[in-house]
Amino acid sequence: MADPAVFGIRHHGPGSARSLLRALRALEPDCVLVEGPPEADGLLPLAVSADMQPPVALLVYRPDAPSRCAFYPFAEFSPEWQAIRFAVERDLPVRFMDLPQAHQLVDPELPETDPDDDEVAVDGDADADADSDGDVPSHLDPLGWLGRAAGYADGESWWEHMVEHRLDGASLFAAIEEAMAALRQEFPKPLGESETQRESRREAYMRRTIRSAQKEGFERIAVVCGAWHAPALTQRLGKITIKDDDALLKGLPKAKVEATWVPWTYGRLAQSSGYGAGVPSPGWYDHLWTLRPDDGDTAPSDVSIRWLTKVARLLRDEDLDCSSAHVIEAVRLAESLAALRQRPLPSLVELEEASLTVMCFGEQAPLDLIRERLAVGERLGAVPAEAPTVPLQRDLTKLQRSLRMKVRADQSTLDLDLRKPMGLDRSHLLHRLRLLAVPWGKLQDVGRKKGTFHEVWTLAWEPELAVQVIEAAIWGNTVEQAAARRVVHRAEQAALPELSRLVDQVLLAALPEAVDKVMECLDSEAARATDVSQLMEALPPLANVVRYGNVRQTDTAMVEQVVDGLVARVAIGLAPACSSLDDDAAARMTALVSSVDGALRLLEVEEQLDSWQRALGQVAAAESIHGQVSGRCCRLLLDAGALNDDEIERRMGLALSVANEPLAAAAWLEGFLAGSGMVLLHDDRLWEVLDRWVASLGESVFVQVLPLIRRTFSQFSNGERRQMGRRAKTPTTGRRGAGSGAAGDAATEHTGLDIERGEKVLPQVLRYLGLDAETIRQASAK
Amino acid sequence: MSEDTSQDLLRLHAEDLFAEELEHLQKHDDHPRPKNWHLSPWAVSQYVLGGTLDSGFEITPKYIGNRRLVEIAISTLATDRALLLYGVPGTAKSWLAEHLAAAISGCSTLLIQGTAGTSEEQIRYGWNYAQLLAHGPSRDALVPSPLMTAMDSGQLARIEELTRIPADVQDTLITILSEKTLPIPELGTEQQASRGFNVIATANNRDKGVNELSSALKRRFNTVVLPLPSTLDQEVTIVEKRVREIGRALELPAEPPAQAEIRRVVTIFRELREGKTEDGKTKVKTPTSTLSTAEAISVMNSGLALAGHFGDGQVKALDLAGGLVGAIVKDPVQDRVVLDEYLETVVKERKDWKDLYRAFREVG
Repeated sequence: MADPAVFGIRHHGPGSARSLLRALRALEPDCVLVEGPPEADGLLPLAVSADMQPPVALLVYRPDAPSRCAFYPFAEFSPEWQAIRFAVERDLPVRFMDLPQAHQLVDPELPETDPDDDEVAVDGDADADADSDGDVPSHLDPLGWLGRAAGYADGESWWEHMVEHRLDGASLFAAIEEAMAALRQEFPKPLGESETQRESRREAYMRRTIRSAQKEGFERIAVVCGAWHAPALTQRLGKITIKDDDALLKGLPKAKVEATWVPWTYGRLAQSSGYGAGVPSPGWYDHLWTLRPDDGDTAPSDVSIRWLTKVARLLRDEDLDCSSAHVIEAVRLAESLAALRQRPLPSLVELEEASLTVMCFGEQAPLDLIRERLAVGERLGAVPAEAPTVPLQRDLTKLQRSLRMKVRADQSTLDLDLRKPMGLDRSHLLHRLRLLAVPWGKLQDVGRKKGTFHEVWTLAWEPELAVQVIEAAIWGNTVEQAAARRVVHRAEQAALPELSRLVDQVLLAALPEAVDKVMECLDSEAARATDVSQLMEALPPLANVVRYGNVRQTDTAMVEQVVDGLVARVAIGLAPACSSLDDDAAARMTALVSSVDGALRLLEVEEQLDSWQRALGQVAAAESIHGQVSGRCCRLLLDAGALNDDEIERRMGLALSVANEPLAAAAWLEGFLAGSGMVLLHDDRLWEVLDRWVASLGESVFVQVLPLIRRTFSQFSNGERRQMGRRAKTPTTGRRGAGSGAAGDAATEHTGLDIERGEKVLPQVLRYLGLDAETIRQASAK
Repeated sequence: MSEDTSQDLLRLHAEDLFAEELEHLQKHDDHPRPKNWHLSPWAVSQYVLGGTLDSGFEITPKYIGNRRLVEIAISTLATDRALLLYGVPGTAKSWLAEHLAAAISGCSTLLIQGTAGTSEEQIRYGWNYAQLLAHGPSRDALVPSPLMTAMDSGQLARIEELTRIPADVQDTLITILSEKTLPIPELGTEQQASRGFNVIATANNRDKGVNELSSALKRRFNTVVLPLPSTLDQEVTIVEKRVREIGRALELPAEPPAQAEIRRVVTIFRELREGKTEDGKTKVKTPTSTLSTAEAISVMNSGLALAGHFGDGQVKALDLAGGLVGAIVKDPVQDRVVLDEYLETVVKERKDWKDLYRAFREVG
C-alpha cells in the first residue's frame, strides 16, 4: 500500500492554501481526506455550488439539544476549503476524517451553555493555531516555541514569514512535518489528561480513515490536517498498529447528530471573538488571497500598495483627510520598516504601523477603525438553498425571500409603513421572530413622530441567530406556528404584568390563535389578582392595543372586554390600595395613577373615565392618604376639568394648612405640581396659597422641606422657573387682597394697551383652547 | 574635547557621552548605510535600544520602551519624511531625539528651541549686520540657522516644542521639508539639502491647540506618539537607571537609592496618574500635574541631593516627601485636596509605608 501524502497546514492560512493547491496539482491525488466531521461528508459537494459564498461553517448539532453543537468555519483562503473544492471540482472522492462529532458531542461533562463556549470546548483545536491568545497557557503554543527558538516575538509572525509568505510546494510540507515531529518529541504531552486522550482518539480515527481509504485501493491519497497532527498521521512518531487504534476507539458513546452549512462572518473568524482556531485578521488574509489566488504573479509591493489604498479610501469615507501622497509615504515607511527588520515584505504589522504614523497622525482611534473594518472585515457568507436546513429555517428563508428582506451582517435600518401589506407582513415576521428569541431586528423607539403606522427596525443577522433558529425549531415547523406555541407556553406561567405585555407583543405579531389563549389567561389572572397595582400595570399596554390595534387590522374586541373589566376592578380597589403607603410606595403609586389616567384618556370611553374620576375623587378627598398620591389625584382631576378653581384653591389651602405636618404638605405639593408648574402661573390664587404657606414656615421646618420642594421645582422647564422667579421677585402687596384685577389694570395703563381691542379676540382664543362660555364670561369680567 | 574640560561640564552631549559605544557600533556595522548616515538603521536601533555586539561589547539601552516605536522613528528618518515625536511632557521625546541625532549624524547639537518668540530668522538664516553694511549682501554676511547648517552638511536638525512656535513661522518649514531647499532671495541663491538631512521635531500633548500644526505641515511629518511607561517594573527600571547616571554626573555624595524607595515613588506617580491603585481596587483622584517619569526622576534626584548634603547619605522617606509634594501639588487648592485624600485613603493604609506617611505630614 502506498503511503499517503500528509499536508500539515495552518487553518485559515492563505499561504498554506496556496502551497497546498500547488502540491495537490503536482500530486494528482485520487482521494482527498480532510480534517473535519465525517457526519458532514454528504454536504461536501455543495462546496462548489455557485450560491456557496465563504465564509461559511459546518454546523454539527444534536437535533434533540440543538445548543450542543460544533462549528467548523471555512473562509475562501482556508486550505481545507481549497482542498475540498479541488477534489469536488475534479470528481475525486473527498472525505472528512476527524473523530465524529457523534462521539464528541455526547460527553455529558461538557457545559451546556451558549454556543460560544461550546465552540471553544468542542472545536478549540489545540493544534497549530492556539497561540498569542493571553488565555492559552504557554504549553499549548507549539508554534510559539518554534518562533521563539528562531528569534521571533511570537509564533504567529514566525509562521507568517517562514510559511505563509513562501510559495514552494511539497518540500515545504515535508519540512513542516519534520519540525512538528521534533516538537512533539521534545514536548510529548503538551495537554492535560482528558485533552490528551481526546487528541489521541482524534488522531486514531484519522489513521483509521486513511487505512480504509488505502484498503479501497486508492493509490495517491492526499491528507490535509492541522500541522500539529501531521507527524502522527505519517507515523513518524513510531509505528501505531490497527489494534492500538481500535483499542482507543472502542466503545465510545454515541449521540445522534445532524450537520448543515451555515453562513459565517469574518468577525467570528477573528481570534478576538473567542474562537479557538481563529485568525486575528481575516480581512488581511482575504486581501492576500484575492490578490494572489494560487500563483505568485502579483508583484509583492502591490500587496502593500493596494492595502494602504484601501485604508486611504476607508479613511476618506469616514471624512478623514487622506491623500494619495499619504499612501505613497505610508508605503515607503512600511517598506523601510520591513527592511529594518530584515523581512522581505511588509506584513500587516508594518502596514498598520505605517498607517498609524503617516495617515492617522499617531492617533489610535482611526487605527481601531481600520482594524475593525479592514483587517478583520465584515464579510458575511451565504449558503445555497439546497443545504439541509431545519424546517423552521426553511420556512424563514422562504418568508425572507417573499418579503424581500436581505440577510446582512452589518446593521441596517428598515422603516415599515404598516398601511401597506408588505410593511405589515414584514413587521409581523420580525415580531414573531422576537417572540421566538431570534432577535434579528430591534424595534427602534421613534416616539409618535411618524405616527402610529410606522415602525423602524434595526436589522443585523448575527451568525448565532442560525443556532437560535435551530433551537426554536422545537416549537414548530413554521415561524407562525412556532411563535404561537411558544407564546402560549409562556402565557401559562406568566404573572399579570408580563401577560399584558405578551398580549401587546402577540397582537403585534398577528398570532390570532395565541391572542385568544393569552387573553383567557389574562382574564383569569386579573380576576384572581388581589394586588391592584398589578392590575394598574397591566392596563396601559392593553389600552395601547385597543387604541392602535386597528392600524394593524387585528381584532381587538376581546381586548376591549378585558380592559373594561380591568378598569372596573381598578376603580374599586384604588382608594384602599392608596392607604398607608410609605414614601417609596407612594411614589410608585403616583406613577401608576398617572399612567393609568393617561391610558384611559387615550381610550376616551365615557363610562370608564367616569368611574375612574370618581375613584380619583375619593382618593383626593380622603384623609390619611399619602400627600403625594392625593396631590396627584387632585391635579389629574383639575386637568380633566372635574374640579373648578374654587374647589382647587380650597383643597390646596387645606393641604397646605399650617396645622398639617410640613413634610406631608410638601409631598402633596410634589404630587400636585409634578411635571409642570403652569397652574401656579395661571392662577394667582393658587400662587398666593403657596406663597402664604412658604412664608409661614419657620426656619428649621423650612430647611426640612426645602429638598422636597426643590425636587418638585427642578422638574419644571427653565422658562417656567424663570417666570416664577420673576413673579416671586415683584412685590405682592399690590396683589394681595385686591386680587390680580387691580394690578393688571395698573399694568396695562403703563404699557398703553388698548384693552377693549384686546378683549375682542379673547372669545375666539378661548374657543381654540376649548373652554366653555362660562369661563369666557368670567375671564372677560376680569 | 579633552578629558579635562569634559570633566567640568554639567552635561555632556549624547555623542560625547557614548562616544565609545558609537565607535564600536560603527566598527561592527556591516549593514547598508543611507548616504551621510554614520550608522546603518539597524545599528541605530541597537544603539538606542541596547544589546550586545558580536565582539561582546555591551551597548546600554538609551530608551526603555516599545521597540516598534523606535523602529518606526528610524525608518521614518530613512525615508525623506520628517519625524514628529508627540507625547505628554516627560516621555523622553527630546531624549530620544537627541540620541537619534547623535547616532545617525554623529551630532545632536543642531537644535532650534521652539518658543512663542521663535522668529523666521532662527529657522532660516540671519545677517551679520556689520558684515552686511561693510561689504553688502554676500554669503559671508549670512548667519545660517542650525537647520540651514544641517541642510548643508546632510545632518539631522532638531526642533524642540514645535507647537509653541507661532503658526506663520512654523509654515517656513513647509518648503524646506517638501522641496528640500531653502531659498535665499537676497542673494538670488538657495541652500539645497544634502542627502542625510532630515528634521526631528518634538511637541507635547498638553500644548494641543497652542499652535496646532497646519494640515499642510502636518502632512510632512510622520507622527510617533511616545507613551508613558506601560508597566510599573519598566518605569522603575527607567527611573533607577537615570537616577544613577545623573547622580554620577552631579557627583552627589549619597548612595544611589534602594530600588524599594524608587518603587514607592513610581507607584505613587502611577497611581495618581491613572486614578486608581496598582491593585485596581481603590479609585483615587487625579491631580492637575503631569507626573511623568521625568518628574519621578527629578524627585529621586532631589532626594538624593538632600540625603547627601544634609542627611546620612541614605535616601529616606523624609528626603523624598518634599520633592513629591512639589511634583504633585501644582494647583495649591485642588491638588492639595487630591494629595490629602490619597495620603489618608491609600498611603496611611499601607503598613510598610508608615514612615512615608509621617514624612508627608511633617512636610505638610
